[in-house]
Amino acid sequence: MPTIEIFLLALVQAAILLVLAPVFTGISRVMRAKMHSRKGPGILQDYRDLFKLYKRQDVAPAASGIVFTVMPYVLMASMLVVAMALPVFTQKSPIGVAGDLITVAYLFALARFFFSLSGLDTGSTFGGLGASRESTLGVLVEPTMILSLLVAALIQGTTNIGGISTAIATGHVQSPMAIILAFVAFGFAVYIEMGKLPFDMAEAEQELQEGPLTEYAGSGLATLKWGLALKKIVVAAMFVGVFIPFGNAATLSIGGLVLAAVLFLVKVLTVYLLTALFENGMARGRFLLTSRITWVGFGVASLSFVFYLAGL
Amino acid sequence: MMTPLCLLLTSVLVFTGGAFVALLCCKSDRASIYISGIAGVVGSLAGLAASVPVMLAGKAITYVHAGPFPFTHFTVRFDALAAFMVFVIALLVLVASIYSFSYVQEYEGRGAWAMGFFTNLFVASMIALVAVDNAFYFLVFFELMSLSSYFLVIFDQNEEAVEAGFLYFLIAHAGSILILGSFFIFWWQTGSLDFSAFREAKLSAPLASIAFVLAFLGFGAKAGMVPLHSWLPRAHPAAPSHASALMSGVMVKIGVFGIIKVGVDLLGATTVWWGILVLAIGAISAVLGVLYALTEQDIKRLLAYSTVENVGIILMGVGVGMIGMAVNNTVLAVMGLLGALYHTLNHAVFKGLLFLGAGSIIYRAHTRNMEELGGLARTMPYTALAFLVGSMAISALPPLNGFVSEWFTYQALFNMSTNGGFLLHFSGPVAIVMLALTGALASMCFVKLYGITFSGMPRSEHAEHSREAPAPMVLAMLLLALGCIALGLGAPIVAPVMAGIASSLANSGLIGVAQGTIVHPANTAQAMLSTPLITILLLAAPVLPLLMAAIFKGPRLPRRHEGDAWACGYIHDAKMVVSSEGFAQPARFMFAPLFQLRERLNPSSPLRAGLQASINGAARIESVVDTFIITPIMRVAHWLGNCIQWLQHGDFRVYCLYVVAALVVLLFVTVA
Repeated sequence: MPTIEIFLLALVQAAILLVLAPVFTGISRVMRAKMHSRKGPGILQDYRDLFKLYKRQDVAPAASGIVFTVMPYVLMASMLVVAMALPVFTQKSPIGVAGDLITVAYLFALARFFFSLSGLDTGSTFGGLGASRESTLGVLVEPTMILSLLVAALIQGTTNIGGISTAIATGHVQSPMAIILAFVAFGFAVYIEMGKLPFDMAEAEQELQEGPLTEYAGSGLATLKWGLALKKIVVAAMFVGVFIPFGNAATLSIGGLVLAAVLFLVKVLTVYLLTALFENGMARGRFLLTSRITWVGFGVASLSFVFYLAGL
Repeated sequence: MMTPLCLLLTSVLVFTGGAFVALLCCKSDRASIYISGIAGVVGSLAGLAASVPVMLAGKAITYVHAGPFPFTHFTVRFDALAAFMVFVIALLVLVASIYSFSYVQEYEGRGAWAMGFFTNLFVASMIALVAVDNAFYFLVFFELMSLSSYFLVIFDQNEEAVEAGFLYFLIAHAGSILILGSFFIFWWQTGSLDFSAFREAKLSAPLASIAFVLAFLGFGAKAGMVPLHSWLPRAHPAAPSHASALMSGVMVKIGVFGIIKVGVDLLGATTVWWGILVLAIGAISAVLGVLYALTEQDIKRLLAYSTVENVGIILMGVGVGMIGMAVNNTVLAVMGLLGALYHTLNHAVFKGLLFLGAGSIIYRAHTRNMEELGGLARTMPYTALAFLVGSMAISALPPLNGFVSEWFTYQALFNMSTNGGFLLHFSGPVAIVMLALTGALASMCFVKLYGITFSGMPRSEHAEHSREAPAPMVLAMLLLALGCIALGLGAPIVAPVMAGIASSLANSGLIGVAQGTIVHPANTAQAMLSTPLITILLLAAPVLPLLMAAIFKGPRLPRRHEGDAWACGYIHDAKMVVSSEGFAQPARFMFAPLFQLRERLNPSSPLRAGLQASINGAARIESVVDTFIITPIMRVAHWLGNCIQWLQHGDFRVYCLYVVAALVVLLFVTVA
């Protein structure tokens, strides 16, 4: 069981991620606008959107039921639990009993299950198709995610994300090539999970992928948008926490934590900038052919597994 | 206080008695429904009472009674594994019996008494089967189980059911023959049919392998593993829903039990490749089972395919356990078997729940086709709630029970990947990735099942006018839903019990897998999991967004819950919404080769062709016998008849002459 300090750390890091999430989506939007040679909204636009949405009326179609109502909260709750379990500022996972890579992967699955289901729950034309696409993407991304994390876990002998992070941070790396390839493959999976082209276009609600959002309004939509922003920053934090944990605090000291927090912001910002660059250079593709692209990610993950077997 | 064996005997006798009394009441269907239901409840309570102490203590109780022949030693061995199986059976039968009080009324006037008879006989044979320790009785009860379930499959007597029953009958008996072959090898080497002698048998390595593979295929056919699964998605849906729940929740586990019995208990899992074989078949079954489930439109067929998937997951655990025993890694052996046993219990609970839910839908909406349902969450709220819990549990979502057992299976596979030679290093991660793919596909599959059936707009009159199922059925489903939650949250209590059974199977000392509210794979450095803590966090976290919504509320209008979904300005129509087939279409497109594989691997047409060929062959052989034996004999007889025909003139004077002649002859004989 975690001590009080550790538990507080978990709460604080989840709160920080939650508060920062809209800034980073704002940065993505600004980047996109710049690359489109538009003026675009300010970085804080997403906060303004959220506050405005909270004041609006909740509207739900007659066909919708309990799943539709609870989904934004389930999404946010599961992402907050993951946020508490990740090694964000520290090398160890603050809540190790939820910081297992299997548990984290299935907490993402919990969010995805409800997100898809809410699309069907409205009886909306867009929602249903979006639900199908969201689930399909889960099928395509989950093996890559698990395999790339697994290679790192096998090398370090623990499936605890904090354990892997600690081992990498202290330079305990037996198969550097395998780790690097796993890093690339996991980055690919993170890119998909962040909802970027050609897999998704998160800002456009009338896109089928974001179909489940179609029928939300008011505070439900605000919570949902905030939850999705949180999901993006959580996968980014997971990426840097597991594979680039350098600079994270080994012990609980104020100085170490502040330094780690600053480094964390820089790392996550880099991830967001890189994904924005990639995304805006991408064209859309046919959804049914997505699997041809995701095979690349899975191929890299498999290659890292082969390197691990060879001990390179 | 009755001993566990007495209770077990009571349980079997109550089920058998219930079966025959139901048969006697064939004049009154209603009476037989109540009698068989009450027998089910009482018998399963006795079964639960018998199994719990043995399961907790882990000590085997044996009873021997010499039969009239040397091969019929009636030996009972109620060990931890048998007690576990009895517990799983009794648990599900208890709930299914409560459910049957209302559900079977649908069959009133259509032979509900026969259903009561066969269901109770089916359960009695399963309970007796797991406890006997003699190959002769084992096979007798195995056969009884197959036959009584066969009659449940063909209960509806329509063409589909009869055909499914026929395929089931063929494959079940092909499996029995293979098992018979395996036991024959043991008998040949030991000269006894007692399992205790089988355990002592020192089979040579090739013979042991042959015995194992025969038993694996034979029991695997019963368990519904790929490629021997094709009967399962036809037979299970054809039976009445509470019987489908028992067949999918319990009967397939008898197959798994048989594999553990022969592979682990009798043969001691001495060879590594046996475990690898079980693991590989398990992984393939898991992925293909769920993939085929995903594209089904029939609720019960979808659930039956998902049973193939879950049997695959269980077999993966069994495989890891056998590998662990073969390489003398007791921790690995216990972890693998722990995952398998835990998932066996969990699958019985959630698959039972889902089949009972499907039964409630059929009871009210009179269709199994998902395309004709929809919107049932409003008309059947409790069924929907229980079904949602079951769907989440089977998709292995934390913190429910399916997640915990799959987590243990993952950890066992991970342990295997870090220990041992290259083969284990390689196959472990491959199996983990296949399990991950299975998890994602299962999630998609059950989003579709729940979403298309319970959400959105009703797609037919039946769905629109459905209403909540009767109280006993709702009670049964809610009990199982509670079971899903309890087995997930109670992991720190349940896992050590499963570990105890697993370690008694693997002949190892007790291995700790729980500390306080935490479970771990016998090594806290490898991983830890606390479902109670995750639940608390998941329940507490929404406070934050709710708080924010309250703070930033401002002058907000109250929630509006009316109107149709947006349809680009057109009038919304239920037909605009994605259909069940459309939902699964991306998966069908992306995994197209695996779907073609199913057509190619389907054994029912070769089986049918083989049967037709043997019928034709038999017909031809029959005519051979005719031409060469029967016809000549007939010809001789005919000729003889013709020869003596001239004696028969039809003139009574000639007959008088015969009489006189006969008298004369007799006179001469007696005098001389």
